[in-house]
Amino acid sequence: MFEQLKRMLSRVEADYADLRYELKTETKISFDARELSLMTSNTTDGYALRVLKGGGLASVSFTRASDAEKAIRTAEQNAALMGGRIEAPVRFAKVEPIQDAYHPQLDIDPRLVSIDEKLELLRRYHEIPLQQRQVATCATNYLDLARDRYFASTEGAEIREDLVTTRILGTITSQDGAQTQTARTGCGGSDGFARVKHREAEFEEKTALALKLLKATPVKAGSYRVILNQRLAGVFTHEAFGHFSEADLIEDSPTLRARMRLGAKLGSDILNIRDDPTRLHQLGHYKYDDEGAPARPTQLMKDGALVGRLHSRRTAAAFGEPLSGHSIAEDFRFAPIIRMGCTYIEPGLLSFEELLAQLGDGLYLVNSIGGETTGENFTFGAQYGYEVKAGKLGGMLRDINISGNLYATLKNINAVGNDLQFGEAGACGKGQLNLRSCNGAPHVLIDRVVVGGV
Amino acid sequence: MEQLMAMARKRAEKVEIYSRAVSADRVNFENGKLKDIDSKLLSGVSLRLFQGGKLGAAYTQNLSDREGLVRNALMALKGGVEADYDLPKTGKLPQLDAYDPTIATLTNAQMAEECARISAAIAARTQAQVDVGAERMTLTIRLLNSEGADLSAELSRYGCHAAAMFPGSQAGIEQNLEGKKFAVFPDGMIDYVANTYKAALKEARPAGGGMKALFLPATLYGLVWRLREGLNAKNIFEKTSRLKSQLGRQALSEKLTMVDEPLNDKVPGARAFDDEGTPCRNLPLFQAGVLKNFYCDLRYGRKLGMTPTGNGFRSDTTNQPAPALEHLTILPGDKSFAELIGMMNKGIIVGGAMGAHSGNILNGDYSIGLAPGIYVENGAIVGRVKDAMMAGNVYETMRNVVAIEDTVGSTLMGRFPAILFDDVKVAV
Repeated sequence: MFEQLKRMLSRVEADYADLRYELKTETKISFDARELSLMTSNTTDGYALRVLKGGGLASVSFTRASDAEKAIRTAEQNAALMGGRIEAPVRFAKVEPIQDAYHPQLDIDPRLVSIDEKLELLRRYHEIPLQQRQVATCATNYLDLARDRYFASTEGAEIREDLVTTRILGTITSQDGAQTQTARTGCGGSDGFARVKHREAEFEEKTALALKLLKATPVKAGSYRVILNQRLAGVFTHEAFGHFSEADLIEDSPTLRARMRLGAKLGSDILNIRDDPTRLHQLGHYKYDDEGAPARPTQLMKDGALVGRLHSRRTAAAFGEPLSGHSIAEDFRFAPIIRMGCTYIEPGLLSFEELLAQLGDGLYLVNSIGGETTGENFTFGAQYGYEVKAGKLGGMLRDINISGNLYATLKNINAVGNDLQFGEAGACGKGQLNLRSCNGAPHVLIDRVVVGGV
Repeated sequence: MEQLMAMARKRAEKVEIYSRAVSADRVNFENGKLKDIDSKLLSGVSLRLFQGGKLGAAYTQNLSDREGLVRNALMALKGGVEADYDLPKTGKLPQLDAYDPTIATLTNAQMAEECARISAAIAARTQAQVDVGAERMTLTIRLLNSEGADLSAELSRYGCHAAAMFPGSQAGIEQNLEGKKFAVFPDGMIDYVANTYKAALKEARPAGGGMKALFLPATLYGLVWRLREGLNAKNIFEKTSRLKSQLGRQALSEKLTMVDEPLNDKVPGARAFDDEGTPCRNLPLFQAGVLKNFYCDLRYGRKLGMTPTGNGFRSDTTNQPAPALEHLTILPGDKSFAELIGMMNKGIIVGGAMGAHSGNILNGDYSIGLAPGIYVENGAIVGRVKDAMMAGNVYETMRNVVAIEDTVGSTLMGRFPAILFDDVKVAV
């Protein structure tokens, strides 16, 4: 394969070019309500070309090898157009051209598991909620996806990496009269099929949750002190803070750049945040990013101060900061952009019980149902929660969306638990999907957030 | 594709082949600087085989291995996915004018010039960070089925968006232009972005509580999303929609009329057939607030005993058709935007909606972060509200319509006017 890629690259007239070829294989199985709605296995492939010429960087994705010539000429023209218009020519941070093949260790390679076994596993999980009278419907979706990625550059890099993701996601919808409630299910990872085996407990717990939500009390809107559980704190870290550690998101915003300058004290003294794609067995694990740079653990926040940032080769050079290896594409249809790998709040010293005692009165909010941020403000939904009085968990609450100012909230984190957990099945959209976006956190206590209610 | 059809016909009772090719160029400016030029030349083919009332589906990016594609679809057939519906024998269809040939002559250099012009015009009046992007796309679709349908469509689209961003934030004031061909970004849109940005720059901190809410076309999706799910035949079949027994009843304000308009070829994306080959038709959904129709694809049409409405669409060839409203329109009312603001004694313009995807969508609940909210008092903009949330239930909010704008704007979810609602709960 590398010979074909090098032949294509040899036809590019530019200062630098790289070419990614990916062979994608996937199996998808879905159950909707009481029936199997999808079962399919597919193999696809395609190319993503980047050209740096005259200070301009352009990218072209294409699916037919016969379109290579057209793609090369288009990329050259676009790069030249860009080079002629930009004030500061694009430069790349230096990377040693690496020649390597990395096949992460998989407990069980899902590509070697029969589709019948996958189907039966999913059917078993899907039938768990359907035993309950008040479950109106449920959807359960299996996916395994492998990107067999070949990367070559005119600098001499030749890197092959196998990126295999396995996951099961679903929803369980309960109903009582006109009232419906939904609980989300999910498990998976990047280290093989064993992650999704023997997970009946996940579906039993979420079924019970969907039923309990029917009787939960809608939360009253207002401002609260809260404890976020690990999943919710992980999503908060990703959405509200992590995205603004991505250099491409802030580079052209003078005001955001000023706020996110290295050294700025953004969080409370106890807050330490890190991104580390090299952590084995986590969903976000990879060795090389999609521009051939080795992944590097990056401390983002230390004792509340911003100390690092996630970079591509382009932004590392533009910011004059160390390259971190975080330039990732969804697949061959996209040029790489800066993505989080495995972002997490480092654990503190307090147990969950000690955090509850410290909270006194407030809310305990559990699990995420999606979030969004504008940089200054964030909003995300909690799957459910509990009222907390004098450090004791009370009744179950639902319909919880929380909102706040990022900078104020980071400073309002006044206690961090000792129970770090990572998510198994995250996904992040930023113009393209990153299935392997991974986040983690221990329980955290925040002094004030706005809860919208319904 | 004909070769693939011949090969597949020997292995299955019914066959459908769907192909799609996209050519797209995108130019992106951030803070007045050219940031990206990205191009795509992507194609894909999806095959669906039907045998004994079961479905086997597979896809690929190109047809270099037809045998492999058929083999994958045959393997999928073994799973037993129920598909006891007929493929449409669609023949003659209305000719739609969905493709403008001038899109092919539009260059990235021209798009870059236009983005630079818009960016400079807004920045000169606001001193704000201005982000502008332009995109042109052509989409070619062909669908063959074993019932004899051989349908094709070619579509063109040009889009341009511009936003003035508030300091320290990714929230801003935005306008979108969309058409089948290049058009100059109108001065009126530039005026709107610049004037609204300046009026909302100052921060306001009103007390929370119930107040009027003016949803812009670009933020109305937070509410429409819930209605779209409520109207989806899948959720009717699964009895999880709150609209399931409301056909013919007054479900929303009588001021609201919502239709799906695939045959309207004055706007980009018009389609004479859906991605299963069913003829498209203009479909009233709510007429003066009365629920008129649900929308379905072949699968859910069969399950519910409904005539397929021509709403089986795919996001690309890697996904299966599903019920979708791709051409949704809310009809305009009779008030100008300025008149709508004038009708607000106390209220908030929803300038951006964060977190619209979370919450209990089937129940109609919404709880969105305002990004930004623009506070209005006595018919005049006072300033920008941050750290605030707006919450309610769409089936209640949509009964409290005060007035509707007299024009519609293009958004990712459809073509909507701005709509003023009464008594929406705001937490600050």
